[in-house]
Amino acid sequence: MKFAQAMLAVAAATAMQFSAAPDAFATGKMKCDAGPQTGWKSRTDLEAKLKKDGWKVKKSKVDGGCYEVYGVTPEGQNVEAYFHPVTMEKLLVSQRGKVIFKK
Amino acid sequence: MLRLINKQGFFWFLLAIPAIGMSIGFLRDPVTAFDLIHPSGEFSVRFMIIAMMISPLRAIFGRRRWLDWLLARRRALGVAACLYGVLHLAFYLYDMGDWGMIAEESLIFSIWTGYAALAIFIAMGATSNNASQRAMRTNWKRLQQLVYPAALLIALHWVYVDGEYMGMVVHFVPLLVLETARVILMFKRRSARRGTQAATG
Ligand code: HEM
Repeated sequence: MKFAQAMLAVAAATAMQFSAAPDAFATGKMKCDAGPQTGWKSRTDLEAKLKKDGWKVKKSKVDGGCYEVYGVTPEGQNVEAYFHPVTMEKLLVSQRGKVIFKK
Repeated sequence: MLRLINKQGFFWFLLAIPAIGMSIGFLRDPVTAFDLIHPSGEFSVRFMIIAMMISPLRAIFGRRRWLDWLLARRRALGVAACLYGVLHLAFYLYDMGDWGMIAEESLIFSIWTGYAALAIFIAMGATSNNASQRAMRTNWKRLQQLVYPAALLIALHWVYVDGEYMGMVVHFVPLLVLETARVILMFKRRSARRGTQAATG
């Protein structure tokens, strides 16, 4: 019984160590260094531009200093896309984790 | 109060609460289907993991009343995992709303792993009754063991669909820890047995 408890503790500590490790898995998360938010274009502007280009926007938020948009491309693909918040340039598009566009 | 909590029917009701909440949200505003893919998938995984933890817990702690209590509810947990998986798929299909695109996505790794896991869940769920258990005999146990590949498929599904592994790791750690302890304990007990054999023989 003591042994099992000790093992549990060791395994838990190892697991915690592992889960606290920096994010090495990178299928497609993006980082933007775009300066203070005061210089950013608004998310509404980005959404409006995308809609004009034929996108359907389901949701958008700030992620990694970029704008992250969940939506449907003009081609009909359900994607997660990253845009630069100052230039509104498209940086990365992934479809269910599969990268289909990278700048 | 305790009697009520101990009723099997009440346990089913507890398992259904998140689904009721999600269904109400969906009926109020179907656009939320997109946001409901995530929680329905997570509840499916959670119930699967809790069901899977019972066996290593028994191997480690032996027979305990609280473990018997859980064991008596393992079938409910497993069936709930399956039904939340189906709900998850339903929200996904509704959110997609285009069969052509659904077919196209089904070839992507993160998505076919989900379908494969759900196929296993459905086979297990459909045979989760005493009649099937009797009719299938040892094959029934073999089918139930497919939960391990299903768990692996779901872990992959999660990591790949998300593009990061934290959410998956946080959920799977308890199970991994218990399974590791079970295996180590098994070896330990085996060598202890061999030790006594050597001493007496
Ligand atoms: C039937 C085929 C399946 C399809 C098409 C599918 C599709 C998806 C999609 C599109 C997402 C992303 C949701 C989002 O980004 O908000 C997702 C997430 C997830 N799925 Fe599935 N799934 C399937 C089966 C399963 C099964 C059987 C399970 C669990 C037992 C599961 C567990 C999860 C979990 C936990 C997530 C959360 C990931 C997250 O968003 O953090 N999925 N699934």
